[in-house]
Amino acid sequence: KAKSFARGEIVIEEQDVEDPLWELEMALLESDVEMSVAQEMLDGIRNDLVGATRKFSAETGDVVEDALRDSLLSVISVGQFDFDQRVAEADKPLVIIFTGVNGVGKTTSIAKLSRYFEERGYSSVMANGDTYRAGANQQIREHADALDTKLIAHEQGGDPAAVIYDAVEYADAHDIDIVLGDTAGRLHTSEGLMDQLEKIGRVVDPDMTIFVDEAVAGQDAVQRAKEFDEAAEIDGSILTKADADSKGGAAISISHVTGKPILFLGTGQGYDDIEQFDPERMVERLLGDEEEEE
Amino acid sequence: MVLDNLGSSLRGSLDKLSGKSRVSEDDVEEIVKEIQRSLLQADVDVSLVMDLSSSIKERALEEEPPGGTTARDHVLSIVYEELVGLVGESTEIPLENQTILLAGLQGSGKTTTSAKMAWWFSKKGLRPAVIQTDTFRPGAYDQAKEMCSRAEVDFYGDPDNEDPVDIARKGLEETADADIHIVDTAGRHALEDDLIDEIEEIESVVDPDRNLLVLDAAIGQGAKDQAQQFDESIGIDGVVITKLDGTAKGGGALTAVNETDSSIAFLGSGETVQDVERFEPNGFISRLLGMGDLKQLTERV
Ligand SMILES: Nc1nc2c(ncn2[C@@H]2O[C@H](COP(=O)(O)OP(=O)(O)OP(=O)(O)O)[C@@H](O)[C@H]2O)c(=O)[nH]1
Ligand SMILES: Nc1nc2c(ncn2[C@@H]2O[C@H](COP(=O)(O)OP(=O)(O)OP(=O)(O)O)[C@@H](O)[C@H]2O)c(=O)[nH]1
Ligand SMILES: [Mg+2]
Ligand SMILES: [Mg+2]
Repeated sequence: KAKSFARGEIVIEEQDVEDPLWELEMALLESDVEMSVAQEMLDGIRNDLVGATRKFSAETGDVVEDALRDSLLSVISVGQFDFDQRVAEADKPLVIIFTGVNGVGKTTSIAKLSRYFEERGYSSVMANGDTYRAGANQQIREHADALDTKLIAHEQGGDPAAVIYDAVEYADAHDIDIVLGDTAGRLHTSEGLMDQLEKIGRVVDPDMTIFVDEAVAGQDAVQRAKEFDEAAEIDGSILTKADADSKGGAAISISHVTGKPILFLGTGQGYDDIEQFDPERMVERLLGDEEEEE
Repeated sequence: MVLDNLGSSLRGSLDKLSGKSRVSEDDVEEIVKEIQRSLLQADVDVSLVMDLSSSIKERALEEEPPGGTTARDHVLSIVYEELVGLVGESTEIPLENQTILLAGLQGSGKTTTSAKMAWWFSKKGLRPAVIQTDTFRPGAYDQAKEMCSRAEVDFYGDPDNEDPVDIARKGLEETADADIHIVDTAGRHALEDDLIDEIEEIESVVDPDRNLLVLDAAIGQGAKDQAQQFDESIGIDGVVITKLDGTAKGGGALTAVNETDSSIAFLGSGETVQDVERFEPNGFISRLLGMGDLKQLTERV
């Protein structure tokens, strides 16, 4: 202790970090990071910092916040891969299935991605695996017409796996690059519907499964991400409604529990309102307010 | 599962008190912490949780438990009273002619809820009609129409008209025979100024008796700003919580009720038109805290 003092450093004690950690925990909760995820991150920081030294010149609060920034970035960057490159290198047709709870933006994200792929020189076909919800066929049909994308759909009440299977056959026969398979929204508590997702996974054997959730989601994001990943293993997520002014802590919760990257952010209802996910910008967004206050 | 654990850790710290008749400051401190956790995990607004927990703490330390009550039951009844005080009784919905406007974020469940509410009114012997003013979302007209036919209620919409305000006006005329008019609107959020202007216009043409904010049970801390904006632009008289068939606790609704000084009207718990019920505080509060029937206990105290 004396030695570090002589070097102009102070050993950080447990009680020094308690207040800053508590404040950060509240900040994370206000940003919608799930509580157990927030606590795990803060425990990690506590373990790393207590007993470590800091310079006289540095405030403990700042040291703790820097540590949190690093920790958030490492959680949120988990598994990031170059999506465009993976698409470019994949055998065609590349089959992507979209899953998630009701109303988060699966169908809209499919429409956006159809445009995204077209701009990068790929053809795509949409498959309406939502044979359940009222108006689902008409909704995706309107998107397909507006985007001039081929749509495969069956009657309401049909077998979702069969629709997507047909779309894959269609893509094979017509040299289409990408199959975008929609599924009906379902809550993770509905066992029958979660089993159906497993079945789609088995029958279609997709190249990629993307979990869609919304940036306005709160603590429940952890639970559903985990259950969807278990029912049909996901490769990554899309976080929609990032334009709605929530901090988007769900991004942390989801990447933490799934260990899979967030790939895109949905930022509006238009076809171009989709951006590749940028972990550093998300961390700034999460910690943004604290910065301004200082 | 995490949530269940928290419920049980709250139960655990309360159980420690079950034999005692006096609560120490430390005991209260511990319980209040657990209650904070449960509420935060239920998505209740952080500052609201802090306010609630400090008044619970104050009362638990100041008030004498009534004779024969254990300290545990005393604290628990305070918690229950505070939450009931905040959330109140179900929004009053008289069984008479009226117009109801639904508003809320994209995908929160407005269209489904409008058909559910229409079904609910028709079971009460009234004649409802749903008016679909969403001209933006693809398939919105077909969705609402199909849901209304499932609910066996009247429906008005016009897929060729692009003006929501005009549709609202005509819809009210066309369905003049109905007792209850339920006006569905396109999804929008607080930052979309042009859409907020639009709903203000719809509201002024429709002149509803009640404006209901439809909130997804899983909404996080954003509930506060959203509720505040909708309240400011059209005035919110009640909240509908949807998707309660999942694991989300719906704490955002508590925040919204606090923010808009309103109450909760209906609960949605599934995708079919029958999956709707009137709000009832006891079940909701028990779900928030992850505990069993609190009302019964409070009545005992
Ligand atoms: N503001 C905003 N709205 C969005 C975004 N993505 C989707 N939406 C809106 O959210 C609503 C629901 O979107 P859908 O694409 O139908 O959602 P879904 O997950 O397919 O819904 P279900 O099939 O019913 O489960 C629609 O009104 C969309 O326009 C986004 O990034 N920002
Ligand atoms: N499980 C479940 N799903 C629900 C409930 N209420 C609505 N949904 C589903 O949630 C999704 C969105 O519902 P909608 O009624 O289309 O929502 P909306 O608010 O009208 O959406 P926009 O018009 O796009 O803003 C659909 O898949 C509905 O079937 C509910 O209580 N439980
Ligand atoms: Mg959909
Ligand atoms: Mg709608």
